Amino acid sequence: MALRGNVYRILEDIVGPQNISEEPVILDTYAFQWLAETISGTKFCTRPEAVLLPGNVEEVQAIIKACNRYGIRYKAFSTGWGPWNTVGGEGVIQLDLRRMNRILEIDEKNMYAVVEPYVIGSQLQVEAMRKGLNCHLIGAGANTSILASATSMAGYGLTGIFTGYSNCNVLAVEWVLPDGEILRLGSLGSGAGWFGGDGPGPSLRGVMRGMIGALGGLGVFTKCGIKLYPWYGPPTTPIEGIHPLNGMPIPESFRVYSLTFPSWEALADAVYRIGEAEIGYVMGRALPPGLIPALNVGSATEYAQMLQLVSTEGMMDEFKYAIQIFLGANSDRELEYQERALEEILSETGGKIILMLEEQSVKNILFRHLIKSEGISRVFQLAGTFATSLGAGTSWDAAVASGKLGEQLKRKYIERGAIADDGGDLAWGGAYQHGRFGHLEEIIMYDFQDADSLKGADEYIEESAQATIEKSLGQPISIVRGMAEHFGPTSCDYHIWMRRIKKAFDPNITADPSFYIEPEQPPGK
Amino acid sequence: MIAALALLDGRIDYTDKLVEIVYQCQMGGACDVSCKVNRDLDPLEVMLELRAKCVEDGQVLPAHMVMIESLRSDDNVLGELKAERGKWAEDLDVKDITKEKADVLYFAGCRYSFDQDLWKIARDTIALLKMAGVDVGISGKEEACCGGRAFEIGYRGEFTKYAEHSIETWNASDVRTVVTSCSDCYGAFKFHYPRIGKKMNFEVLHITEYLDRLIKEGRLKPTKKVPLQVTYHDPCHLGRLSEPYIPWEGVERKVLGQVVIKDPPKEYRRGTNGIYEPPRDLLRSIHGLELVEMERIKEYAWCCGAGGGVKEAYPEFAQWTADERIEEAKATGAEALVTACPWCERSFRDALEHNGAKIKLYDIVELLLEAL
Repeated sequence: MALRGNVYRILEDIVGPQNISEEPVILDTYAFQWLAETISGTKFCTRPEAVLLPGNVEEVQAIIKACNRYGIRYKAFSTGWGPWNTVGGEGVIQLDLRRMNRILEIDEKNMYAVVEPYVIGSQLQVEAMRKGLNCHLIGAGANTSILASATSMAGYGLTGIFTGYSNCNVLAVEWVLPDGEILRLGSLGSGAGWFGGDGPGPSLRGVMRGMIGALGGLGVFTKCGIKLYPWYGPPTTPIEGIHPLNGMPIPESFRVYSLTFPSWEALADAVYRIGEAEIGYVMGRALPPGLIPALNVGSATEYAQMLQLVSTEGMMDEFKYAIQIFLGANSDRELEYQERALEEILSETGGKIILMLEEQSVKNILFRHLIKSEGISRVFQLAGTFATSLGAGTSWDAAVASGKLGEQLKRKYIERGAIADDGGDLAWGGAYQHGRFGHLEEIIMYDFQDADSLKGADEYIEESAQATIEKSLGQPISIVRGMAEHFGPTSCDYHIWMRRIKKAFDPNITADPSFYIEPEQPPGK
Repeated sequence: MIAALALLDGRIDYTDKLVEIVYQCQMGGACDVSCKVNRDLDPLEVMLELRAKCVEDGQVLPAHMVMIESLRSDDNVLGELKAERGKWAEDLDVKDITKEKADVLYFAGCRYSFDQDLWKIARDTIALLKMAGVDVGISGKEEACCGGRAFEIGYRGEFTKYAEHSIETWNASDVRTVVTSCSDCYGAFKFHYPRIGKKMNFEVLHITEYLDRLIKEGRLKPTKKVPLQVTYHDPCHLGRLSEPYIPWEGVERKVLGQVVIKDPPKEYRRGTNGIYEPPRDLLRSIHGLELVEMERIKEYAWCCGAGGGVKEAYPEFAQWTADERIEEAKATGAEALVTACPWCERSFRDALEHNGAKIKLYDIVELLLEAL
């Protein structure tokens, strides 16, 4: 189905002929997505009718107004990966925001940046570090949009103990509403700049994004302010070694440790105490036990060899109940305090440093992995792809319960060979904002080209989603269509509120609702 | 990669846009290096196969056909007469290796042989080798294209013909060392030639490797001061694409449930073992010369724009690519951009002429000669 009549020309007039296409070869690159096979059985989701690359807010607004006028649905995305970035059905155009890729401002004194949608984590981090600042990077990697996880999606990263996470780092926002009007949230709404998300000026953080984000179902976010945090390292970070085994020399202001505990409970206690002591720059399970052997290898083949080696020598037990922590400080005294506090916490909880990961070259790789948020590469490399499950944003204790449950649920899928045998514990995540909030998502690695493996992955995702309801663990991070209908009744009927918001903000239903909420309640629900 | 999959899956068919996308790639290998950070993949191999398939299916470009016709009739890709090939060396006192023996064969390649603006660099190179006392010869008009460009634009048959010709000719001669100033040719010898499975009984060196060796052996002594701040552009074919081809014959199998391994283990080319230090060492050996680096260097270097038949088929895109690199060079504050490949030199010269950017351009050989 092509765009009817002169609609294509009208859209072309807005963005220019170089920035619009309805060529199948171009459109398929947008339909190709991570996890597409869990929806369509192939690596491709639905192909959009056309793709447009607007260059500024005025063009975004003009496109959306045209969509309202001509009854066309649209779906915007920036760097995002996952089927929720694709169009949810036929007749939808895709807005690719890659031309809007500028850091508009870094306010060093007030510690925030103003970014467009396609500013990626590494881009902002490099510029921020030059000024002694750093930004929160989500676990999906430094190649992802800073704005997207702040305005439209969930976003956790392991500096979260120190930097918080994307949901709360967003400041003022420029938002093109589904009807084409521009709304300026927070301090921007009262002409006071970008420093505040909730005032002076309108605060609609809950409506704008809620917990998970509207996933493109509520218009387009074109700029946002984002909090920055102190960086205790050098203004530029040298990288050494051959990729993917690059390391980053650890600055004197940092300490890097891999820790292990005698039980999940001891790990949980230790993390709470770390939060209470307000220590740590990075903390969490960036490398759960099953991925620790992947830290120092260059391929899936080497991973298998390494895993076999450490398993036969009984070393995997050393990695059980593991977390990684970096201490960072701007003075020797503060660093000393943090080290002493950590020592005490380990003593009280029975934790210890994993000595076999103390080698400097390994620590340098770990340091780069976590500061640059590059651990994600491993879970693609080993079996071809991965999926994630559980992982509700919740208390740390509940997060740990998710980790334990995930390991248990995975067992039978590992035993039948449907997913990679990673030892079972691939619970990724951490505690954020000094332990006030946490999440652990259970990762599975599988081969999307193998029908049995894909079937197993699908079944696991379904079973783990159901288990979160039965165990009251909160809404999982594995996003599926109709998710709000599924989980709303267990969570204060939030889907009813979402539907009302959708109808109020998008009377013509032009912003693709597929992964947010359908405007009408499905029959039988 | 996605287009190749969509084509294989029958989701899309050939269109002008698909063909344009396939042939606008400069085949510089930057994506290949980057993608290997998180996948056990060889994306450049996919691109090479995709182009070969396009040619097989008759999806070819007129500009590339001109190159191939020229190759078939005159053994070069530049549309020049074969009889003119040795003219760059006229009046040079250098051995003709087809008539007399020499230890070292200097292989000029198509660009140096026919691009008169660049003849001086090839002639300077011979002068340097003779200053170092190297017993060097050339093939003159008997030299033929290396075939590398044909391989990259998808013409496998032509590539095999020229690779076989070069290997058989040099194996049969007394030449034990082939030195070339052309990075494209060097990349072809190192990365593409091993694919045809013929043993090469000779050493291949890029001129920067050889000159660096001669300096370190004390056979060339750059004593004159060259007060200049320069930045060095790594040619793709001298950098990440010069890593030797690593043959692998084995099977994929699954262990640990779904972990896909290669049996025997496969070694991946990651671009790290390209020729990066010899040209830099050579520059550092010149008194008064200061080397400052660009942001994207070595295996992460940005292409000059000329690769993969793009300059011939899409000159505006090649120009844009070169402009980007020149901007990056200017951002270092260097007075001059230095490279070690005639295709890069041509691409930058054209871009500078067009965009009027104020930065000097040198081949590394010119600076060394100035220092001697």
